[in-house]
Amino acid sequence: MVITICIGSSCHLKGSRKIVDQFNELIMVNKVEDKVSLNGSFCIGECMNGVCVKIDGALYSVLPETAEDFFHKEVMGRLQ
Amino acid sequence: MNIKVEASYKSLNKHHEELCGDKVEILETKDSYIMILADGMGSGVKANILATLTSKILGTMFLNGATLDECVQTIVKTLPVCKERQVAYATFSILQIFHNGEGYLVEFDNPSCIFIRNNKVINLPFERRIIEGKEIKESRFQVRLNDAFILMSDGVIHAGVGKILNFGWLWENVANYAVDVIDKAPTATRLANTISQACDDLYMKNPGDDTTVAVAKILERKVVTLFTGPPLSEMDDTRVMHLLMASPGKKVVCGGTSANIVARYLKKEVRTTLEYIDIDIPPIGYIDGIDLVTEGVRTLSRTLTMLKRYEKEELDQQFFNDLDKKDGGSLVAKLLLEECTDLNLLVGKTINVAHQSPELPFDISIRMNLIEQMKDVMTKLGKKVTLTYF
Repeated sequence: MVITICIGSSCHLKGSRKIVDQFNELIMVNKVEDKVSLNGSFCIGECMNGVCVKIDGALYSVLPETAEDFFHKEVMGRLQ
Repeated sequence: MNIKVEASYKSLNKHHEELCGDKVEILETKDSYIMILADGMGSGVKANILATLTSKILGTMFLNGATLDECVQTIVKTLPVCKERQVAYATFSILQIFHNGEGYLVEFDNPSCIFIRNNKVINLPFERRIIEGKEIKESRFQVRLNDAFILMSDGVIHAGVGKILNFGWLWENVANYAVDVIDKAPTATRLANTISQACDDLYMKNPGDDTTVAVAKILERKVVTLFTGPPLSEMDDTRVMHLLMASPGKKVVCGGTSANIVARYLKKEVRTTLEYIDIDIPPIGYIDGIDLVTEGVRTLSRTLTMLKRYEKEELDQQFFNDLDKKDGGSLVAKLLLEECTDLNLLVGKTINVAHQSPELPFDISIRMNLIEQMKDVMTKLGKKVTLTYF
């Protein structure tokens, strides 16, 4: 599974770096390093809401506060 | 020969003095670069006035094509006479380098210019003559790329005298030190800063005399073309890309959407990393064929901060440590400061709608403002800047 996090200006200000850190930690805690690859991308063009995150082509908006729930639902949910 | 001269200097004031008794003038005429270093007798206000008058007179007269003899006559007749010593006196050095590579050096009582070529100190051929009772040394020569010329006031060769060193930092020692550090301090600014730092250390941060190091370095013209911001009309994308790809030097793209335009045109991919070297600056990206790819406004505002620090001469080791960092903003700043003589800015005026959101902590529709400021600072730093909006 490929997760792409937008690191463009707008998403950067909304906390992409925090989400990168959170996801990295969650990937380790859940021991899914070999199943998930985390990438960065410049502006994806969906800057209006939270930080833009793309999973296998589907776009989501995530905030640092919702990152953990999002990870469990969308990432772990798909892996199971 | 298509050369460019980078000139820079650093002064240390004599202990307890607010004004420096050394003065450096850096000028550009239609066909040459001129650097003048004057050292006024004594210290403080008096020395500062003598040095300022001397360097300004020399600069203004040279700029208007006066001969050396006329300049010296004018100085002798103009400088106020010191009450205590009954003389009017300032020593000076003048270095003039013409665009065609001819060099001309004049020295009056300053320590001789250190001339470094291929990591060796070279002795310049001098002729001596007497003008208005003063013995003046003159030298004419041909410069080559990467030649470095170091002018200094006598505070440099007196550094540490009677304290750390019996006889001060002798000319030969300064010259050998300059050769040792020149690879690590490849620009005029870095070299002037490094030598001046060594003087300060020898004086144990307590300079016994005004101390000035002025360096001129012969550089090749180096062009950098920077593209940032999507053009208002998509029709202009191709035009911008032609200009960018046809430019002779390094190519820089700042901005996510801009990077996507470039990648689409070149039929390449934008690769990004998630390595945060600095938490405030988004990571850089990569596109084959482009020398540096970064995010836009955050990165450029960091770059502008660095350029402004450089322009204000707040140059200490901390500045250069920051400049050597690998975040996007510092990388762009280093490129513009140290590997660029001519800068072309290709700037799209499109404002990212998402950046207008009131939730954001500051208005990042400031790209054009950033660019205008960048242009001003780079111009002040002696770089040739062209700016085109789309």
